[in-house]
Amino acid sequence: MESVLGFISPKILSQILVGLSRTVILFIVSSGLSLILGVLRIPNVAHGSLYMIGAFMAYTVSHLFGGGNMGFWMALVLAPLGVAVVSFAAERSLFQFLYEREHLMLLLLTFAMSLVFGDLVKMVWGGEYRSVPVPSIFQGYINLFGGLPFPIYSFFLLVVGPVIAILLWLLTNKTKIGKISRAAAVDREMVGAVGINVSWVFATVFIIGCLLAGLGGVLVAPTVSVTLGMDHTLIMEAFLIVIMGGLGNVWGALLGSLIFGLTQSLGILVWPQFGIVFPYLAVVVVLLFRPTGLLRSTW
Amino acid sequence: MKRYSFLALASVLLLSVLCVYSVSQAANTIKVGIVDTYTGPATTFTNDVLDGFKLAVQKINASGGILGRKIEYTTRDEKFKPDIGLAMAKELVLKEKVDILMGTINSATTLAISDFVRKEKIPFFVTFAKSDKIVAEKGHRYIFNMNENTEMAGRAAAIALAKKPYVKYWIAGDDYEYGHAIAEGVWDNLKKLKPSVQKVGETWWKVGEADFTPYITQILAAKPDFIIVATGGSGMVNFQKAAKATGLSQKVPFYQHTATELSVLAPQGQNAPEGVYGTANYFFYYPDTAQNKAFVADFKKAYNRNPRIGALYGYMTAQFIAEGYKKAGKIDKEKFVTALEGMSLDSPVGKLEIRKCDHQLLLPMYFGVTKKDAKYEFLTASGIETIQGKDYVPSCEEVLKHRKK
Repeated sequence: MESVLGFISPKILSQILVGLSRTVILFIVSSGLSLILGVLRIPNVAHGSLYMIGAFMAYTVSHLFGGGNMGFWMALVLAPLGVAVVSFAAERSLFQFLYEREHLMLLLLTFAMSLVFGDLVKMVWGGEYRSVPVPSIFQGYINLFGGLPFPIYSFFLLVVGPVIAILLWLLTNKTKIGKISRAAAVDREMVGAVGINVSWVFATVFIIGCLLAGLGGVLVAPTVSVTLGMDHTLIMEAFLIVIMGGLGNVWGALLGSLIFGLTQSLGILVWPQFGIVFPYLAVVVVLLFRPTGLLRSTW
Repeated sequence: MKRYSFLALASVLLLSVLCVYSVSQAANTIKVGIVDTYTGPATTFTNDVLDGFKLAVQKINASGGILGRKIEYTTRDEKFKPDIGLAMAKELVLKEKVDILMGTINSATTLAISDFVRKEKIPFFVTFAKSDKIVAEKGHRYIFNMNENTEMAGRAAAIALAKKPYVKYWIAGDDYEYGHAIAEGVWDNLKKLKPSVQKVGETWWKVGEADFTPYITQILAAKPDFIIVATGGSGMVNFQKAAKATGLSQKVPFYQHTATELSVLAPQGQNAPEGVYGTANYFFYYPDTAQNKAFVADFKKAYNRNPRIGALYGYMTAQFIAEGYKKAGKIDKEKFVTALEGMSLDSPVGKLEIRKCDHQLLLPMYFGVTKKDAKYEFLTASGIETIQGKDYVPSCEEVLKHRKK
């Protein structure tokens, strides 16, 4: 027992905690991606753009309310709703006509959408770096395990993550729309045949998925510079997580995010020069042994 | 297919109209073609180059132009893609018949255009690309480098850091060419100037990394005296935010090239970390001279914002183009290039010389540390140490050594 505790050094504990806080944002964004992938069967490359728009909207809202605590809380509520409005417009005007198309077409279309969104963001917000300040109650850090710092904002993320996970579970298991959407994921013709308006079910699911992307953008905004191009790195990771977890499985997204976040933070400890390879190595290993992902894919 | 042929026809027609127009113009103007990235994150920097250039051109044209001709410019967006950039440079030279090319922020594009202008004998002013190959290995008669490069930034930082008491260094950065080049530039030169320094470890993260906390805790656990952080673009701000959130900036001092620049500090407002060391070629508030104040006032009047480093590049490029032609006495490319060699001009940061041997503009470098400033809404550089161009730019022999093959 002693040796086990000795092995779990303060450094490792600290990296695990840091990795978990990183997992939260990955999970929020990739669960939205997975939801859309599972129910609507759209590999939405533009998901990352909605995350970026969420971050930019957080910047605007937080500045409108003076940039302080109030600004942050308002951004947390209003920016995801703003993203939901954008996604609603996109779904009704474009995506709803394309659900029957083949995946390659959808991939190309959503990629095109990501470029369009990128340029729209540039037109609205410009090319400057934007920054959302960390709300003052979450500023600073505390010393954990052997004096290693842990930002207070990351604690906040560690609280938000499980809350979102529980809400998602309630949504998919306890609500009518959740049940219908799970049924639609399995057999959409049958759901239509029993008299349910599948089009609106899809629209709702699409908006919820995009809302999650927007929420991820708001939550990440205080820790990074809000800038064009922040969508690219994230969408790559989100897709890998979804593939690793099992396409369309929201809990797979959670598992994938955990693996991605933790292998990275622990990998840095093992081999700092090549810390970035570990999450990708994990993806390779998972796909070698479970080509359809860790959990049951809905595809 | 039909649609494509229509498009092709339309564009040919349009081009021919443009050609006729440009030929009619060519007789009495000097045409400058600007190829640069005007979409995506790089616009943070490139818009300043263009605005600085425009400002100078307007002044030159208002005072009668050069040799009775006005400067005319046309821009092309290379979208941060070397193949597009090269195609646009070719189009500007062959169809638009520009006399001069300038740009780009992308080193790969710059090197591609450099090969092309060497053959076409078109003077090319590089604004912002940071690869040291541009003047060294790939340098030639027609290329002028108007900014610092990674080797120079590294040397300047090393000169300043060698005077500091730090011994145990950690190196961290964005895992791409710019990051590695900056880190190597600082480290190799620091080792030469102060052999007692030792490297405790290295960390490399992917470009666009959003969360630096796991990296920072790992670096802190190793207890280095100082960290060289080789980030670029949005990584600059991301790392500073993480340094603030984890208290890194109070525990271990670190250096980033351009850490003190307005583009990095202004977005963070009062929340940027204090005590970060950085090098930069330009501040709107330093040096506190009449020339700089006048330049800042002009720029602010025209664009309602403070000029940043790119504005100086663009502004000085236009000045050198004007003075080069004046000295050459006629519109002749060879005479123009020769005229520019060794020319020095007054600038907002003092006299600047284009070195004869490698066509490198010798800019002063300012080493400073971030600090809150009651006068501004954002942090500024303080304790500025000026490192003159001749002290940190590699010598002619060192540069030309790379060119011989």
